[in-house]
Amino acid sequence: MSNVQQETFDIIAKQAKIELDTIKPESTLKDLGIASLDAIEVIFDIEEHFNINLPNEDTDFDGGTVGQLVEAIERQLAQKTSE
Amino acid sequence: MRRIVITGMGAICALGHDAPSVWKAMTEGVSGIGPLTRFDASALRSGGIAAEIKQFDPSRHFAEARLAFLDPLSQYALVAAREAVEQSGISFDGERASRTAVLVGVGVAGEETREGLYKRLYEERATRFHPLGIVRIMTNAPASQISMAHGITGPTFAVASACASSNHAIAQAALMIRAGLVDAAVVGGAEASLTLGLMRAWESMRVLAPDTCRPFSAGRKGLVLGEGSAMFVIETLESAQARGATILCELAGTGMSADAGDIAAPSAVGASAAMSMALRDAGLAPEAIGYVNAHGTGTVANDSTETRALHSVFGAHAPALAISSTKPMHGHALGAGGALELIGTIGALRDGIVPPTLNYLEPDPACDLDYVPNVAREKKIDAAISNSFAFGGLNAVVAVKRMG
Repeated sequence: MSNVQQETFDIIAKQAKIELDTIKPESTLKDLGIASLDAIEVIFDIEEHFNINLPNEDTDFDGGTVGQLVEAIERQLAQKTSE
Repeated sequence: MRRIVITGMGAICALGHDAPSVWKAMTEGVSGIGPLTRFDASALRSGGIAAEIKQFDPSRHFAEARLAFLDPLSQYALVAAREAVEQSGISFDGERASRTAVLVGVGVAGEETREGLYKRLYEERATRFHPLGIVRIMTNAPASQISMAHGITGPTFAVASACASSNHAIAQAALMIRAGLVDAAVVGGAEASLTLGLMRAWESMRVLAPDTCRPFSAGRKGLVLGEGSAMFVIETLESAQARGATILCELAGTGMSADAGDIAAPSAVGASAAMSMALRDAGLAPEAIGYVNAHGTGTVANDSTETRALHSVFGAHAPALAISSTKPMHGHALGAGGALELIGTIGALRDGIVPPTLNYLEPDPACDLDYVPNVAREKKIDAAISNSFAFGGLNAVVAVKRMG
């Protein structure tokens, strides 16, 4: 597991108050019972933690998986280093 | 039961500085949305767009000494109230002063003043706060200022329910008149909160569209904020007839409900309850409604939820409804929303023109009704409802009817 994935899962587990091992890359936030403003808060915590901005397109709360979210974070981090 | 009629209306928003200009722009499908000009919005992720009021010169409306007391929130409300009172021809002499209410829906407060002063306090480390800060910022400022400007001494206060504030204010005014507490009211809503702080707060909720507002359409990405005010003079039918006033329409009924669910996510059950209650209160069958001015914010969740609610309330009649959201024109004006939208609803009743839903691209399977896409439509409307559904799960619907 990459560091980014590990840290992202930690943030989700803490915010959703769920066990870390229930989070799989293929889970959606909805599967994990994180909906509405809770999901938006998770994204906010991630943005604060990594100091990145995640565009709305990368935050599909219904269909998007946690794995896709990690990829989006990695994209933003890569962009930040290249700047 | 006392019948209530509307005898005056006034408005100011991105579409114009008086009700006739606003209504004309709605029939022409003009959009007031554009890049924010009031502050540097280039850093906003949401595209930095809004429906701003342009070319408004407060000194044309207010004396300099008076202006010092007025945040734009109160300026807009006063301009709209003055127009409504002039159109209705009502005067507040004698007993009329205490038999009239002033109710103004405000979702936020005098934000431009607040942010300006906080900037000085926190950023510039100022040690003194401007003495008129409180009276400019307070949520009840527009209601108080209207009562002072017109000498109205009856029940006067602000009504707050975020994006439903205007409609809750109108419902409250109607109930006061029916209860016999007053015979008339100056009522509506106002908002002026296009500030960097508020825009950032909305942006972080991920509800702002980066491109534009396209309610009920496939590809919609969220709402676009607006600002302004619309105010109305409402009174008993008896009072209007005694004065020989021109009656714009009947305020037939109102409906209110709370979702008691999520603080932000909308509920079809709560929305349906408010619509059904408004119809019942107005004594109107669902089939009597020709036009619905939808809440139609342009968010994925609102528009599909509102569509489900319309199906549940109107059943087989739902496909025959002309439904439109005028928010792509005047923006989502929060506390002023319902009042500005009532200008469009009354226009549809009076002129037989349904304002369109602009920026519509193509149907979304979750929004399968007639949203009058992009172009205004001629249609005789006898009765209409206007929906407002707020964050916090608070819903208020106003039903209006053509007179005679």
